[in-house]
Amino acid sequence: MSVVNEPSGVSALSTDGMLIDIRDVRKIYIMGTNEVHALDGVDLQVRKGEYLAIMGPSGSGKSTLMNMIGCLDTPTSGSYKLRGTEIREREDDELARIRNQEIGFIFQTFNLLPRADALHNVELPLIYAGKPAKERRARAKEMLDLVGLGDRTHHRPNELSGGQRQRVAIARALVNNPSIVLADEPTGNLDTKTGHEIMALLDEIHRKGNTVILVTHEEEVAALAHRVVRLRDGLIETDQRRAPSAGPGA
Amino acid sequence: MNPPASPPRDFWIAQGENLRIAVDALRANKLRSILTVIGNVVAVMSVIAVVAIIDGLNTYVSDKILQQGLGVLTIDKYGFITSEEEYREAEKRRDLGLDDMQALASRMQLAEQVVAQASRRRIVRAGSTELQGVDITGTTDGYEQVSKLEVEQGRHLDAPDVERRRPVCVIGSEVAEKLFPRTDPLGASLRAGGHELRVVGVFAQRGNVLGTSQDNIVYVPLGQFYKMFGSRADLTILVRGREGMDPTRVQDEARVVLRAQRHVPLGKPDDFGMTTAETFQSFWKQITGGIFAGTIALVAISLVVGGIVIMNIMLVAVTERTREIGIRKALGARRSDLTMQFLSEAIVLSLFGGFVGVLAGIAIAFLIRAATPLPAAIQPWSIGLSLAVACSVGLFFGVYPATRAARLDPIVALRQE
Repeated sequence: MSVVNEPSGVSALSTDGMLIDIRDVRKIYIMGTNEVHALDGVDLQVRKGEYLAIMGPSGSGKSTLMNMIGCLDTPTSGSYKLRGTEIREREDDELARIRNQEIGFIFQTFNLLPRADALHNVELPLIYAGKPAKERRARAKEMLDLVGLGDRTHHRPNELSGGQRQRVAIARALVNNPSIVLADEPTGNLDTKTGHEIMALLDEIHRKGNTVILVTHEEEVAALAHRVVRLRDGLIETDQRRAPSAGPGA
Repeated sequence: MNPPASPPRDFWIAQGENLRIAVDALRANKLRSILTVIGNVVAVMSVIAVVAIIDGLNTYVSDKILQQGLGVLTIDKYGFITSEEEYREAEKRRDLGLDDMQALASRMQLAEQVVAQASRRRIVRAGSTELQGVDITGTTDGYEQVSKLEVEQGRHLDAPDVERRRPVCVIGSEVAEKLFPRTDPLGASLRAGGHELRVVGVFAQRGNVLGTSQDNIVYVPLGQFYKMFGSRADLTILVRGREGMDPTRVQDEARVVLRAQRHVPLGKPDDFGMTTAETFQSFWKQITGGIFAGTIALVAISLVVGGIVIMNIMLVAVTERTREIGIRKALGARRSDLTMQFLSEAIVLSLFGGFVGVLAGIAIAFLIRAATPLPAAIQPWSIGLSLAVACSVGLFFGVYPATRAARLDPIVALRQE
């Protein structure tokens, strides 16, 4: 496994043009009388277009870090800048807007709305972006075509297979052109073959210029990323850049 | 990153989505929704039905019971009695007689017409046909000016009939139909109170009041009535004021004249009673006001109970759909989006109850109209009002659950199974 240089040759210390700039971030939860340091001083910089995997055993803080990157949570201390904007101490509604415009979530359990069809599920971020119905539908249809579900627009989640559901979720994550696609164990609920298909899709999304951040505990899945960050006890243990493996089961 | 000021989202785009969610939720839980809104249904139904019935009664009362019309003063021994005690007191008073009527007729300046009447309910016969419970009224002439009575055939009783105590009568349309089904009633004779009377006129039909026919009547000259039933009859005197005259002035003048005539000492109360159509109307308004107040109490209770049930079921909905709330938040829904979503749902639920209530209320009103003689008229304003109230109930009781939904932590909500 070889560590590769920064692609653009910019100094690793420079933060100019960083998509994600996390400096000494701590997250402390109070559980009863105990303080739990979920994140204990994390530094992480991510450039636009990177394909990053965050790994670590359970309790390592990787979920907390992912929630923070996804603006579902804010740091107790330290600084998180997303495209140069400080996320700490943002109002609730401001965070909602950032999630809507900058983040595309892909969850392990898909998290589709059960009573809405595929098209409506994909439309949701556009509704909260205030886009008119006609534009929403056209864009959602486009995204479903992209993930290969153009013929399943009016199927509800329970009429779709696991792989298809995750494709709907991916279409939903991409529909508002986010800065970051954030995938939390995207293959965790899928069989191996379907998992490979989904990873191939994510790879394709990355190659089209999207920044993809993957949270996983599977080495095989992480192996597809160009950079692997390992967390332990709320700290970054290793941060390796490497040439990606040949591809997902191709 | 975009400038921090978030672009104003189109309010109606979010509302379209909210309405869709609300209707979806309603359809997904049909039975639960119906049970939830029973309070609203009862409340709205009561408003619609009661307003329709009271309004129908009002029309009815002004049309039918107040047949004497406005501006006519009715004087009798009793006046407007509302208790048994008053009645027993009035019983002791001296009967009104023809002398009282003549005093009023000759001394009143403001009266256009003064009429004296007495009545009995008796059997009337023609040939072998017999009619029971006919209202036989002895009257002086000019009665058509104080009562809403018109002749359809023949003529009214006139001054010569009254003066000469002629054995003639004018009969109601029902009496005419039943006693003379195939023959011309004019000129025919009938027997009442042991006397033979010749029919000189037939009144136009007046219809029913509260199920009682108003056409089962026979009018005879007062002198003839005395011959039939004795001259000790207690009279009712009807006074019609001059055109455009203030009714209270007419009433005051009649009181002064009658007190003098009946020698009522100064400082003693009247020994007769005076009522006008307005008296009945104000009494009627008191009754309907009472019914209305009762209805409002029932409606208020139903609405509070209904509102609490709606609040409860909305809290259940928020709990059931915690994960959905988490998903929506992750995708960029703001607090206000979720508040509006669940508020819309509560309002749609409440309005749904309102609509069912409106339909039930209309059905009840129609049922009453079909099954009873009461005309129940649906008032459009009552529909508007009760739907507005149902809407407010949803709004008021939906605020708390909606706020709970909006404040959920997205991380916690997403973790929910």
